Amino acid sequence: MPLRNTDTRWGGIAQTFHWLIAALIVVQGVIGLTMVELGMTPTKVRVFALHKSIGLTVLALALLRLAWRLTQRAPREVPMARWQLAAARLSHFLLYVLILALPFSGWLFNSAANSPLEWFGVVHVPSLTRGFDPVLKSFALRTHVVLFWVLVAVVAIHVFAALWHHLHQRDDVLLRMLPLKKKSRAVQRQGAMP
Amino acid sequence: MKSKVTGIGALLLLLWASAASARDWKVDAAHSTLTFTGTYQGEKFEGRFKRFDARIAYDPANLAQSKFDVDIDIASVDTANTERDQALPGKPFFDTAQFPRAHFVTTRFRKAADGRVFADGTLSLRGVSKPVTLAVTFAQAGNGGTLDVQTTLKRLDFGIGSGDWADTSMIGNAVMVRGHLLLQP
Repeated sequence: MPLRNTDTRWGGIAQTFHWLIAALIVVQGVIGLTMVELGMTPTKVRVFALHKSIGLTVLALALLRLAWRLTQRAPREVPMARWQLAAARLSHFLLYVLILALPFSGWLFNSAANSPLEWFGVVHVPSLTRGFDPVLKSFALRTHVVLFWVLVAVVAIHVFAALWHHLHQRDDVLLRMLPLKKKSRAVQRQGAMP
Repeated sequence: MKSKVTGIGALLLLLWASAASARDWKVDAAHSTLTFTGTYQGEKFEGRFKRFDARIAYDPANLAQSKFDVDIDIASVDTANTERDQALPGKPFFDTAQFPRAHFVTTRFRKAADGRVFADGTLSLRGVSKPVTLAVTFAQAGNGGTLDVQTTLKRLDFGIGSGDWADTSMIGNAVMVRGHLLLQP
């Protein structure tokens, strides 16, 4: 699999960004929903610190991914109904916005809460505010929570659409984001034609 | 005649009193602070006690009769972080329900060879009394002055954040404490 995108497939770099961020989003969602239920113990502090570190990692990956996406040519879009294409473009755009905005709102919340921010205990990450700011803190927290549920909704649509294209439409939408050697279904069908 | 005797008596009493004790100051609470610097998750943080009562008798020329007596309302702690400020009065930390106040009183003052002044005293905090030494800096300004004191405590000496919270890589053991008092005649 080439590192760069081809005309018909996402390249290795784009795929790595996609699946790495996807996995981290799932991990973040589970940690995030769990950690708020914990009692005030050192474990809670460590789990929060982990959530912050992974979130900052997602933010950094999202920025790199966006830079890669904008400087590379994307594969040609799979032929599909116009409304599906519009929905796909919109949801992809939203996903890019969300993987940037969600960690950013968490960073903003942490800053306004005047809480420490050390990336995996190694790199100090500066505050975005001048210390404690209760108004901004509650705004950022509400934003963080709302964006999370919006992300859940958009990811659900994204996953459903990918599976629907794969299982029902039987096109290449999912395959070209997978590191498989398998021949494109379009090519197979063409090959089968007399 | 009688009033003259009383007057002389009062004067003598005043002279005796001023000789026996160093100068008493009024502390301007609005312009005085009791702050501390701790470490949490590898980062320094600042806190303060919003309410404390300091009785200060201090005269650099009469250290023997100088005295600090400070009463601190521990529940007035503020570190500009809601979650931390909710945790600090709790049982694992200051346990303000059982120990609402801390107290510091000097036992003696000494002047080092380099001229610096130190106040030895006893700090009672969270049910533990330990000797504590303050570095003292006094600056006269007109009728009043400023008094700055500083020391470094070990939180675990006083059982603050014991048990699960004893891990000093999460919460540093050393806590620097500073007092800045504006003194008025």
